[in-house]
Amino acid sequence: MDCIIQVFPDEFHLKTLDTFLETCCQPQGTVNVRNIIISKINRLSKYAQENSKNIPEDIKLFEIFSAKITQIIQTRSSMPPEDILALQSALIKLALNVYPDEISYVDNVLLNTLEIFTNERSRSVGCSGELSRMLRVPIDHYGDIITILALPNFAPLIEFLDFRTRKELCVYVIENIIKTNTFIDSHEQVDMLLKMLASLISDQSDQPTEPEDPEDFEIEQSLVGRLVHQLISPVPDQHFLILNMCKKHLLSGGDKRIQYTLPSLVFRAIELCRTYHELRADDEKWEKKVSKILQYINSLLSALCKAEYWELSHRLLLQATLVCDAMGITSAESVAYEFISQAFAIYEEEVSDSKSQLIAISLIIATFERTLNFGEENHEPLRSQCARASSKLLKKPDQCRGVSLCSHLFWSGKTRENDGEELRAGKRVLECMKKAVKISSQCMDPSVQVQLYVELLNKYIFFLDNGCVDVTPSMITQLVKKIQEDSAGLESSEATHQVTSHFKNTLNYLSSAHQNINLEVQ
Amino acid sequence: RVAITAGRKAGLPQKFKKLLVPGKIQHILCTGNLCLRETYDYLKNIASDVHVVRGDFDMNTNYPDQKVVTVGQFKIGLMHGHQVVPWGNHDAIAMIRRQLDVDVMISGNTHKLEAYEKDNKFYINPGSVTGAYSPLERESNPSFILMDIQATTLVTYVYSLVNEEMEVKKIEFKKQSALEE
Repeated sequence: MDCIIQVFPDEFHLKTLDTFLETCCQPQGTVNVRNIIISKINRLSKYAQENSKNIPEDIKLFEIFSAKITQIIQTRSSMPPEDILALQSALIKLALNVYPDEISYVDNVLLNTLEIFTNERSRSVGCSGELSRMLRVPIDHYGDIITILALPNFAPLIEFLDFRTRKELCVYVIENIIKTNTFIDSHEQVDMLLKMLASLISDQSDQPTEPEDPEDFEIEQSLVGRLVHQLISPVPDQHFLILNMCKKHLLSGGDKRIQYTLPSLVFRAIELCRTYHELRADDEKWEKKVSKILQYINSLLSALCKAEYWELSHRLLLQATLVCDAMGITSAESVAYEFISQAFAIYEEEVSDSKSQLIAISLIIATFERTLNFGEENHEPLRSQCARASSKLLKKPDQCRGVSLCSHLFWSGKTRENDGEELRAGKRVLECMKKAVKISSQCMDPSVQVQLYVELLNKYIFFLDNGCVDVTPSMITQLVKKIQEDSAGLESSEATHQVTSHFKNTLNYLSSAHQNINLEVQ
Repeated sequence: RVAITAGRKAGLPQKFKKLLVPGKIQHILCTGNLCLRETYDYLKNIASDVHVVRGDFDMNTNYPDQKVVTVGQFKIGLMHGHQVVPWGNHDAIAMIRRQLDVDVMISGNTHKLEAYEKDNKFYINPGSVTGAYSPLERESNPSFILMDIQATTLVTYVYSLVNEEMEVKKIEFKKQSALEE
């Protein structure tokens, strides 16, 4: 049989197609019709692709093979699933290569396969490998998932794969989307896609009871997080619908997944707020829409807090605070206050080791310093809270650094009443700085003390550089003198070398930038 | 050659990937917020010497807060920048430079692409290699930086993707000798 296919020319095959198929597909069972038919399909496929005129109009290759294959599969009830699927795959390839415009042909094959397996589930047992391979054929060919989403019988076939193969296929689909940089821009399509990816997105009834390898799990779920960035529409209202659809699906993933999947949603929602803000002149409903998005962000952050992802929530709350502030409307200001207060609460109640505490409060201060639109009645209590929290840190050096950071809030901090101008409350800046110096003087370790003094010296110079008249040259020279005295008594070590070079660089800067300050060089 | 990157999107732009070929770059300095292990692996694939510092979203990692890397005659400081208050402020970043005692100070966080000389030292912000949005602004143009170090000269190539087109700027910085300082 194979000889016949190899030896005779294509035109011969075409003319004798019906007879050939009739003959070799007699239900005698022992002849391996699978390979014969696939050979035939491939041969004629190639012939057709060489020149579309090679196949006469009246010879409808797809219909002919499709009918024949359906008949063969029905009559040979013991045909194993690999053979069924190999035949179906060959048909799909024929459709894709010779009739690329007819996506209904592809869906037709999928539907047939679906019907075979649904009517007799036993025929689908053990089919995972081949079925997965078959499903990848159209994904690879079309190169984008949009066409796949238009094949109604694609997703139902995924159900017949075993758990692991289903998950692998989901990963394959997402990787394809990211690789081809495909964007899915309607919430209906997003819904279809996320349903298709259910095996990755939420727990499945047939998944193994042993927990998955945590590294693999992280990689897979991070993929879902990355996918979120491809589910966007240039139309803001539509994008919001997409975000809601994503939230619906991703929340079903449960606590162990959301740490990887929700942050992307939060970032996209933040970005969407900025989009609405930018387009506000053309959309009279923009404030209401932004309010809704802020509520949406709040719901995502609540989910993360409930699942006790404290540090992640803390960071995201601060990012969300900034976007609320950027909106410049009072409704958003109260949400901003709410978000930053939640960040404070997490810092106070959930962050336990001292290093993380310093990082957390520093980040709150740094973020708060960037806000523009808090009214004084909100700004003031927040400033106080920052100062209080800093002075309550466990270690003296951390207290010193935290308190000195707060000085910036009084200098370059901005309130709504000030209309974008810096507060420049020089006296309050000095208060913070003096307090920081005092805390440094209480440090036990002399080398740490000197290090802190040098850091504070630099901050004094910073404020001097930036026009704070309350910082006087004599304050600077006094501190320089103190550092010179104290460092004389230090033992030489790696750490003290760093402090020495830090101090030297500072003095160099002082002498070049502030020649009026008289420095006694020892 | 040294490449600098920052890290919140699905991946690097294709046009960048084509440039970042293994074997041509000796060191990679990354300002953090990589977020994904795969991104780190990707960088490791381009150059075996990869330095990463901790960003505000690199929570479960062991990256240091700051790093000093010596390449040839240049000491280079690396820090994410969320620790610097005010964010992106040149004077505040200069304070860190003095503390680390480096010739070149690299920081990120703001995603604002910058390369400038100040008080005879050099400062770089590589922007965001994925063009991700920053805490303060909308999405930016993807960017990264290549540094070519020869003796006391540092040539910085600033690559950015503007409307899908690659733009390159070249800036030269000469390190002053110790005698001149």
